Amino acid sequence: MKALALIVDGALTRQAETAALAPHTESLAALERGGTVGATLRFEGIVRETEADLNNTNAPRALAALHYQTYDPMAQRALQELANSVAQQHALTSLIALHSRGRVEVGQISFVLVAHAAHRAETLAAITQFIDRMKKDLPIWKLPDWKVVG
Amino acid sequence: MNFVTIDVLVFGAAHVCAKSDRVSVRIAQPATAADVLAALAAQHPQLAFTLSAARLAVNQSLAQPRTAVCALDELALISMVGGG
Repeated sequence: MKALALIVDGALTRQAETAALAPHTESLAALERGGTVGATLRFEGIVRETEADLNNTNAPRALAALHYQTYDPMAQRALQELANSVAQQHALTSLIALHSRGRVEVGQISFVLVAHAAHRAETLAAITQFIDRMKKDLPIWKLPDWKVVG
Repeated sequence: MNFVTIDVLVFGAAHVCAKSDRVSVRIAQPATAADVLAALAAQHPQLAFTLSAARLAVNQSLAQPRTAVCALDELALISMVGGG
């Protein structure tokens, strides 16, 4: 396994992540035992408590949750292609990308990226590039579910 | 000239603005992806704010401006994406 990308329904809780990766447990364990990994970097995207309100000059507005829309199956394919590309470009040992679909509440995780490589520099560069390209190219949208005040 | 009406799937802010997961455009055949984007701008001006950097997906793949489009294709407006 070089790169693995999955879209998961709901927040990326520890249980959801474990369930999503369960079919790949053996290959992940083999990777950890392989001796080639000198750096592991994990990034978590978390839903903030405010989001810019497009209907009010982008002023920050309190959120209850974000609803992630995906254009399926293109989103799954594009996420996997991006993971393949970034893993290859930065000579990663492996790259795991998980992204939520559907409702994710404030404070919950919507995106997980884990990079393994021989050295830290590759993992840092890979994480940054992956996120930049994801936000530009992938058919995934977030819709605000505004917090009801009062 | 032969005209057809084609649905275009919309997402995110475009979905909210359209109050639907799709909008229809009427275009002359033969047509390209660029023609569909131009028709969206002309026939759905409320979506103009999403179109400046928009691309069209044809049958689940990003299309080039000259990609041919016909009535049986699945079209999706890819604009203002924001994963993460």
